[in-house]
Amino acid sequence: MEPVPRNLRILSGITIALFAIALYMVFFYAPREAVMGDVQRVFYFHVAAGWVGFLAFFVTLSAGIVYLITRDRKWDRVAVASVEIGVVFIFINIVSGSIWARPIWNTWWTWDPRLVTATIMLLLYLAYLMLRQGIDDPDRRARFGSVYGIVAFVSVPITFLSIRIWRTIHPVVIGSGDPSGEGAFEMTPPMVQAFMFSLLTFTFIYMTLLWYRVRLGRLSEQVEERKMEMMSI
Amino acid sequence: MFLQEAPAETFNYMAFGFIVILGTMGLYLLSLINRYRNLERDMELLDDLSAKAEPPVEKI
Repeated sequence: MEPVPRNLRILSGITIALFAIALYMVFFYAPREAVMGDVQRVFYFHVAAGWVGFLAFFVTLSAGIVYLITRDRKWDRVAVASVEIGVVFIFINIVSGSIWARPIWNTWWTWDPRLVTATIMLLLYLAYLMLRQGIDDPDRRARFGSVYGIVAFVSVPITFLSIRIWRTIHPVVIGSGDPSGEGAFEMTPPMVQAFMFSLLTFTFIYMTLLWYRVRLGRLSEQVEERKMEMMSI
Repeated sequence: MFLQEAPAETFNYMAFGFIVILGTMGLYLLSLINRYRNLERDMELLDDLSAKAEPPVEKI
């Protein structure tokens, strides 16, 4: 069994500590929002999860470009690992947003530009994972993944800017937004601190998960190579 | 002035939201651990098979 690298163990410890502090800040340090009540606390991890998704897909874009230049398959491992994590966190982002929306917008779902573009983005990257499975040759799979990951990234800025481009009821957290946005609120300093700390914590969670997932990918490739060797005996 | 509005009672929704957030993260973490262990088991099995498939060394 390959031991977990020392730096990864340290990173894991830091991540767990940050997460514990973030939970404390979200539940106890940040005050209860005056209008929405407790459900507003979901916002801290909802936005942080969305941030991780965007970051993850940006890493996929970058790794894809580097793979196409270097043809080193380790970049493909990074790309697919990042997509997997991104998909999980965008799912968390969408579902937590829906739960927040039920008492605030009085609906679980609405065909709002932000919700629609985020869902399309999620489906695009789910398709990335599914389509890769159908390609046997590792190099072809990596080339496909790289090109797909680069093209699919178009959905990320569209999703991010959707609440600034189109008419929307989704609140804008940073900067001024559409006056028709429902659920916007003024953040007090403790709220801002909890929000920023959540973003930091989730960034560490992403980095930790990415490292573990890349290790998993490397082991998977080694198993496949060993199987090929066995078949050739 | 006496009719101050209280925040909405949305504790249950908050609890539901965090169960989903933490539950999904936990499930993903468990899936990573499970997949890694399965691959390690596969590797051990392949090592065993590889060792058995090698022809025995002839003693001179």
